[in-house]
Amino acid sequence: MSTATSTPDATPRLRRSAPGLQTREIRSLIFVAILLIVALAVLPQILSVYWVTICTAVAYYSVVAGGLGLLMGRVGLVSLGQIAVLAVGAWIACKLSFSTSLPFPIVLLVTGLITMVLGTIIGLPALRLSGLYLALITLMLAGAITVALRTMQFPNGGPGFLGNDPNQSDPVRRPAIALTDVAYFRYTVVICLILFAIALWHVRGRAGHAWAAIRQSEPAAIAAGVNITLYKLWAFALASFMTGVAGGLLAGDVQRLYAITFTTQQSIILLAVVLMGGIYSLWGGIIAGIFYSLVPALLNNWGVAADWLTILFGVGVLQVLLTAPGGLSQQFPRDMKNLYGLITGKKRKERQAMQAPPGGEAGAPRAAVSDGPDQSGVVE
Amino acid sequence: MSVVIDGLTVRFGGVTPLDGVTVTFEPGTNGIIGPNGAGKTTFFNVLSGFVNPASGSVHAFGDDLLGMAHYRRARWGLRRTFQTEQAIEELSAAQNVAMVLENTPGSGSAGSRREAALDALEFVGVDVNPDEPVGTMGARERRLIEVARAVVGTPRVVMLDEPAAGLPDEETEHLGRVIQRIPDETGALVILVEHDMTLVSACCAVTSVLDFGKLIATGPTDEVLRNEHVIKAYLGAEDAELEGVIGNE
Amino acid sequence: MPSWQDFQPFIVTGLALGGVYALSGVGMVVLYRATGVLNLATGAIGAMGALIAWALINDHGWPQGVAYLVCVLFGGVVTLAYGMAFGPPLAGRDPLVKAVATLGLALILLGLMSLIWSDKARSMILPTTTEAFAIGTVHVTWTQVIGIALGIAVTAGAAAFLRYTKLGTGMRALADDREITASLGVPVRRVEAAAWLGTGILSGASGLLLSNLVGLDAATLTFLVISSVAAALIARLSSLFGTLLAAIFIGLVNALATPILSISQYRDMAPFVIAVIALLFMSRKGNLATARGAR
Repeated sequence: MSTATSTPDATPRLRRSAPGLQTREIRSLIFVAILLIVALAVLPQILSVYWVTICTAVAYYSVVAGGLGLLMGRVGLVSLGQIAVLAVGAWIACKLSFSTSLPFPIVLLVTGLITMVLGTIIGLPALRLSGLYLALITLMLAGAITVALRTMQFPNGGPGFLGNDPNQSDPVRRPAIALTDVAYFRYTVVICLILFAIALWHVRGRAGHAWAAIRQSEPAAIAAGVNITLYKLWAFALASFMTGVAGGLLAGDVQRLYAITFTTQQSIILLAVVLMGGIYSLWGGIIAGIFYSLVPALLNNWGVAADWLTILFGVGVLQVLLTAPGGLSQQFPRDMKNLYGLITGKKRKERQAMQAPPGGEAGAPRAAVSDGPDQSGVVE
Repeated sequence: MSVVIDGLTVRFGGVTPLDGVTVTFEPGTNGIIGPNGAGKTTFFNVLSGFVNPASGSVHAFGDDLLGMAHYRRARWGLRRTFQTEQAIEELSAAQNVAMVLENTPGSGSAGSRREAALDALEFVGVDVNPDEPVGTMGARERRLIEVARAVVGTPRVVMLDEPAAGLPDEETEHLGRVIQRIPDETGALVILVEHDMTLVSACCAVTSVLDFGKLIATGPTDEVLRNEHVIKAYLGAEDAELEGVIGNE
Repeated sequence: MPSWQDFQPFIVTGLALGGVYALSGVGMVVLYRATGVLNLATGAIGAMGALIAWALINDHGWPQGVAYLVCVLFGGVVTLAYGMAFGPPLAGRDPLVKAVATLGLALILLGLMSLIWSDKARSMILPTTTEAFAIGTVHVTWTQVIGIALGIAVTAGAAAFLRYTKLGTGMRALADDREITASLGVPVRRVEAAAWLGTGILSGASGLLLSNLVGLDAATLTFLVISSVAAALIARLSSLFGTLLAAIFIGLVNALATPILSISQYRDMAPFVIAVIALLFMSRKGNLATARGAR
């Protein structure tokens, strides 16, 4: 039955040229441009200064949310303490602001880099843990940072390394070109745009491809040469960098910081709004930022207790997790992704496999009952 | 330029999926067959680096494969497809295939990677829009895209794990023709795990047989298929095709 | 460095707190083993129960005993209701998803508590807190005694329950392999319901005790659950006695740091730091699976 020579099929010619911008992408770009114009030119004209500062907060919280969404949606890592990371960024920015005379953009950059390094150092050992343990470690760290901050507070021009003097309250400096609240708002929007662009560049490139592979099937990713630990760390690093810079922007925004802004509850609320905003698109980060900063202010304005929002967020979490399509369940690494520790599950399959009659029908779909332990990672 | 397996043994708790397997794969296409539970996929998983053997060694083209970190093996040139196809749904066909090159240092620019990916897609003969997400495509296309990912660039060892599973006959024939061209056109050594005996006969000059983790036969394919131990191992199966092939050889 | 005398009262405080952490920690471990759900809303549930009891006593003049009973029952009922409503639809999902879902519940309760009771400072004094005795120079309240005693008793009781009762064995079977357990005729729903109810009652009880040992404040009580989680994590979410020991250790370290002025202000970091170190240390020995059985 074997054929010694076979005529090759007429191999189809595939389109060679790289795809240009698709309509979908052009629409997004136009939308972003419009949003930018509205933000930079229109909003400051029509809103009072108070509301402009709210929008400043929306901008940098969107970045934080975007970073968290990236971690969750692209790599399936849940951080229950991202607000604590923000606090660390803000602390570093304060410290740099008072202890050095670095120009503000450099402060932002250095803050981002230091936060990134810290995030990576934590991430390295933590990544060996499975999803739940990793999330809980972030919760523990957040708790520790929250407690520490309550005592340390933020540098405010005081003496010593901690730089805090309760009787003092110097403001964090702002960049010379953005001293007023309105100018600072525009400055923040531009920086946040840059941060989102960096994130997008990652998602569209090599990292994004690797993350997509990791999320769907770690075995397939490894078989394609993806260094999973490296790419997960990269996601950690990116999210930490973005959050760190956002912390710097926050410091420059409120200029006097207090630990009470950065509680564990806030981390949980951030998680909720990120889930609700959607973790598969960077737009979700902006929606989350709006939920986190704008809506409470609106409710406050209308005399509605913000607690209703907290309840809504709780419901939102449950709703997203329950009604999410099958795709969302890929966001959290399943136990199957733990390549080396699935013995009990596999043993059961082996037992089933051993008990099944040998051979089976050729061509019959080979599902769970496979040849010994199935590590293709797709069963279940 | 061969793949030398020596005394490969895998133990999980009380089970021994692979037991002292010793075999050498020569350039060309090598088949591995065996009943369910024989250890075929475990074998691939050891080579891929997903499972650590209790003992034994694997030397591919003179290099110690087991000494390499698993993700480095793809860079070395070890490629595989999976029993249940694993094309990444979110990415396009071109991106799926190019991913291997993206993770291999020194593989040129994005443009050249895309060219190579498209070449591989044409090689396997899949007719799709290379820039559409793979999730929108059917099982046949996805399987072929996975094969393309296994042959793109400069593969050295290509492991195919039951690529014909679930495919209708004419697809299997097409697949067979593609597999037969791999060694000549890419220079890679192919190892094919299959249940479809027609495909094994068509593609593999040499075949090894696993049963309960042990190697029970190895040699020219038609001899192996007639081997009474092999037939006994499959005894009790409603494998009409197997019987048919054996009977007709 | 403070003297031995100075440390003594904090040994008592630490033991009592540790005992109560063990109370909710053990409940969490049992529930996790039976259902794969790590209930991070335990603290919030306990807090709300305590606040309800407070309101019943102070706003409605109910007798104390009844109010405390309501608190404990509230814990059981709310947890059971959540488990029955959200357990089945999430049953096949990753433990991480199930845990995050309980955070949704926690937010709902936090919002409700803040809405109904706001952040006013409150206190609720159990009769056992006013009754005290002395060991040497140390003042010990009966609430503290209950804390540690209950922690030990519940740990031992739960271990015995799991081993010797039909329901307990059912829970252990569920932990190992849900599908096979169901096929063996074990009433899965009933066993799960028992696990939810039991752990809920423990939440209510610990909320009550913590309101006396720490204070009656919704946010504080809610996030004290992290200490219980820390203890459960150190015990790898599987050993009950390990949870007890870890909880006591955490409670002691936390309390004993109080008189050491140089670190006293940071003492509340203790549970988190201990948990992180323990987890990172354990992760060195290879991967930690989140469940003994694939969930």
